[in-house]
Amino acid sequence: MSNHPSTSGADNIYQPSLARIVRILPQIEDHRLFQLRFEDSGIRQSFTYRPGQFVELSLIGTGEAPISISSSPTRPEVIELCVRKIGRVTEALFRLPLNSLVGLRGPYGNGFPVEEMEKNNLLIIAGGLGMAPLRSLLWYALDNRSKFKEIILMLGTKISEEMLFKYELLSLLDRTDMKCLLTVDKDEEGIWPAQVGVVTKLFDAVKVDPEITYAAVCGPPIMYKFVLRKLLERNLPKDRILMSLERRMKCGVGKCGHCSIGYKYTCIDGPIFTYWDAINLPEMI
Amino acid sequence: MAKPKVGVFGMTGCAGEQIVILNCEDELMDILKVLDIRSFHTAMSENDEQCDLDIAFVEGAVVQPEEEVWLKKIRKRSRLLIALGTCAVWGGVAAMKNEVSPQRLKDEVYGPRGQIFKSIPAQPLHSFVKVDFSVSGCPIEKEQFLQAIASLVHGDIPVLPKYAVCTECKLNENTCLLVEKSELCLGPITVAGCNARCLSYGIPCCGCRGPVEEANIASEVEILKEKGFTLGDIRNQLRTYAAPAEVLQTYFTKR
Amino acid sequence: MQIVKLPKENLDKFMGGLSKFGEIHAPIKKDENTYLFSKIEDLSKIELNYNRTILPPKKYFLPPNETMFRFSPEKGYEPPQDNLNKKYVLLGVHSCDIHGLKILDLVFSGTYVDNYYFTRRKNTSIIGVSCIPDDMCFCRSMETDFVEDGFDLFLSDIDDSYLVRIATSLGDDMVRANQSLFKEVDKEDIAEYKRKSNERKNYFKIDLELYNLPEIMDLEYESKIWEEIGEKCLSCGTCSMVCPTCYCYDVFDQLNLDGKTGERRRQWDSCLFKDYALVAGGLNFRSERSARVKNRYFHKQRGFVAQYGRPSCVGCGRCIQSCPAKIDIVEVMTKIRSASYE
Repeated sequence: MSNHPSTSGADNIYQPSLARIVRILPQIEDHRLFQLRFEDSGIRQSFTYRPGQFVELSLIGTGEAPISISSSPTRPEVIELCVRKIGRVTEALFRLPLNSLVGLRGPYGNGFPVEEMEKNNLLIIAGGLGMAPLRSLLWYALDNRSKFKEIILMLGTKISEEMLFKYELLSLLDRTDMKCLLTVDKDEEGIWPAQVGVVTKLFDAVKVDPEITYAAVCGPPIMYKFVLRKLLERNLPKDRILMSLERRMKCGVGKCGHCSIGYKYTCIDGPIFTYWDAINLPEMI
Repeated sequence: MAKPKVGVFGMTGCAGEQIVILNCEDELMDILKVLDIRSFHTAMSENDEQCDLDIAFVEGAVVQPEEEVWLKKIRKRSRLLIALGTCAVWGGVAAMKNEVSPQRLKDEVYGPRGQIFKSIPAQPLHSFVKVDFSVSGCPIEKEQFLQAIASLVHGDIPVLPKYAVCTECKLNENTCLLVEKSELCLGPITVAGCNARCLSYGIPCCGCRGPVEEANIASEVEILKEKGFTLGDIRNQLRTYAAPAEVLQTYFTKR
Repeated sequence: MQIVKLPKENLDKFMGGLSKFGEIHAPIKKDENTYLFSKIEDLSKIELNYNRTILPPKKYFLPPNETMFRFSPEKGYEPPQDNLNKKYVLLGVHSCDIHGLKILDLVFSGTYVDNYYFTRRKNTSIIGVSCIPDDMCFCRSMETDFVEDGFDLFLSDIDDSYLVRIATSLGDDMVRANQSLFKEVDKEDIAEYKRKSNERKNYFKIDLELYNLPEIMDLEYESKIWEEIGEKCLSCGTCSMVCPTCYCYDVFDQLNLDGKTGERRRQWDSCLFKDYALVAGGLNFRSERSARVKNRYFHKQRGFVAQYGRPSCVGCGRCIQSCPAKIDIVEVMTKIRSASYE
């Protein structure tokens, strides 16, 4: 049959490449930041990605799982994955010693439309573990500081012990070229150096110009509800509110079906969706 | 890495699971390469009854108070406890008549000699202890057992199919005995893993592997009734292997 | 398109000559009312008058089970050296099933091309055959009762002969290899073909009206019909396995007994299985059976239209024939359309 796509010499889209765990940084309980480096120097140099994209991580013999990239493409050579020990694959990852080999393929997904977001204000809103994919966008923007107008980060966790990248983010408090708002719901000892209260309270401290602002939101479902309400109150257009969603992205390439939401595949049409997409897709959030 | 220390134990049952393990003739040497078997009464004469174990494989149902004590002791010394076979996972054939008092059953079967031992309604292991993983089947499938060992040696909890026998039956392209031949087949509500063995020989599924997750008993019963089976027939078949299963209990108490 | 005539007395000779183009697979009778595609050792077993096979031809391109890689801790994942390049001739494929393959082609191509699928697809020639619909066929509603491409040859039964459409250069080679078996099409053959295909229209007993179905499905998203089907559905997976366009698969690493080496395998999956949309940590986006049933219908009749411009159902009737709970897609869609249903 003549009308099929060419298969000769084409890549195997499911082929994981070996990568080495070069650094393991403990974060909060059951969360670690893994620095991975491709074994093959060619792949290492050519591998690039957009903030918001994910990779398929293989633990040899255990299986594969989608993990969002926490590092920024502006800092090549290593890829950082912030992983929560929660399933078979991540449990196997936590058992591995430094220098072990894992499989990686990707990057997958649409990622944030960073070119479109440039020349605008950037409002990054994270709740709990939502910081993992948003950290990539944050550092991308800070490393391309001149391309963006105002950069505001709002992050809320229950207690400070649950804040991912805490020390890295606290060091941003002093930066004058961005506004870093870190809030904890409770601070019983009174030692938290930043805000206290729920994340939506942070809106009181910022001005949102709906004409020139993009919001990137990631967090638990309950947070979406309240944050979206705040953003809509400030007249932010629905297609400028970007959200990162989680589904069972098994193949990453739009074939296996597991991550379908309504008429879309999270792995190729997402994982970044606009709020407008969300309204129009059944069972989105 | 040290080989995991393993024990194989049998409560009340036919020892079928232990026989399946011993029947892995081609693989036995490889099994011994990866497991340090410390206790396996059916197969070895010297057994360590005290040492801590990484994995305990337990077959059979609990039908005597002594077994409950023994099982709890095994649980205490084992990091992982794996239920092997339908009796251990679901109660099995022994639990078929649990609604009849153990005393009456004992009198009928053993007469006055039944006085010398006690019995309780047959229960699966999870009624008494935490079960980390289950391999069902009457008997278990050798391939599933070997795969479970491989995963455990690797450090992972094994993954076995959770779908119904129908799926495997279709993949074998068998003529559907339920739809095409109106036979009493429990394939739609029985958990897969046997590669639809009976069905591939033209025998309807009797449900020996126990119910699939979220088994739709009500719909299965409706389908069979429509084909002319009485509720009695259906009930007997459903209760043969997994009477204590919650889905069955709920269905039959509701009625 | 070139069309020639193959008198039925020459059929066996023609089929016998096909083996040099690949291993022949064709429908055989399994039981009273069941058929399956199988390797042919004995040409007399081939059953070209059949209603439908238990599994559709997708099994040849996306096998129910396949090894994607072999793995070891040192070398990682390496593709198996299996020969995907073996040639096959798939003979006796119905129009609906050819459309089914064309739909799978859409899914497995695109930005990411699945080479496991397409290598097999390229190495398999397809010879279609016309059919007489039974009371579960609704290919006419799904616009798959005829097929324009996606085959090398297509045989249309006109009683004493087959009209043979030659769609590809390979198909032409197959005809040329046994040129003497074929005759030219004459006026009577054309008349007979027209009579037959007109007559065929009248055999259809059921109809699924496609007109504005996507809009109706959106409107009926909250309909209680999904709960009703959810009550009946057994989640047994039968409908997904037998569907010519269900392509979902699961992937897992299967270890050897050493606990180190093994194979990464994929196998057919179903969106009706409870753990289909389960993510690590235990959150299940479709834990209710009714939600899973609804998702399956929406994906076939609504989602696929949005993605690819047509429903992914081809009207082959397999799910109707094989559902133990007698859930009938045509009945469900008819119900959902009816104004009186709320």
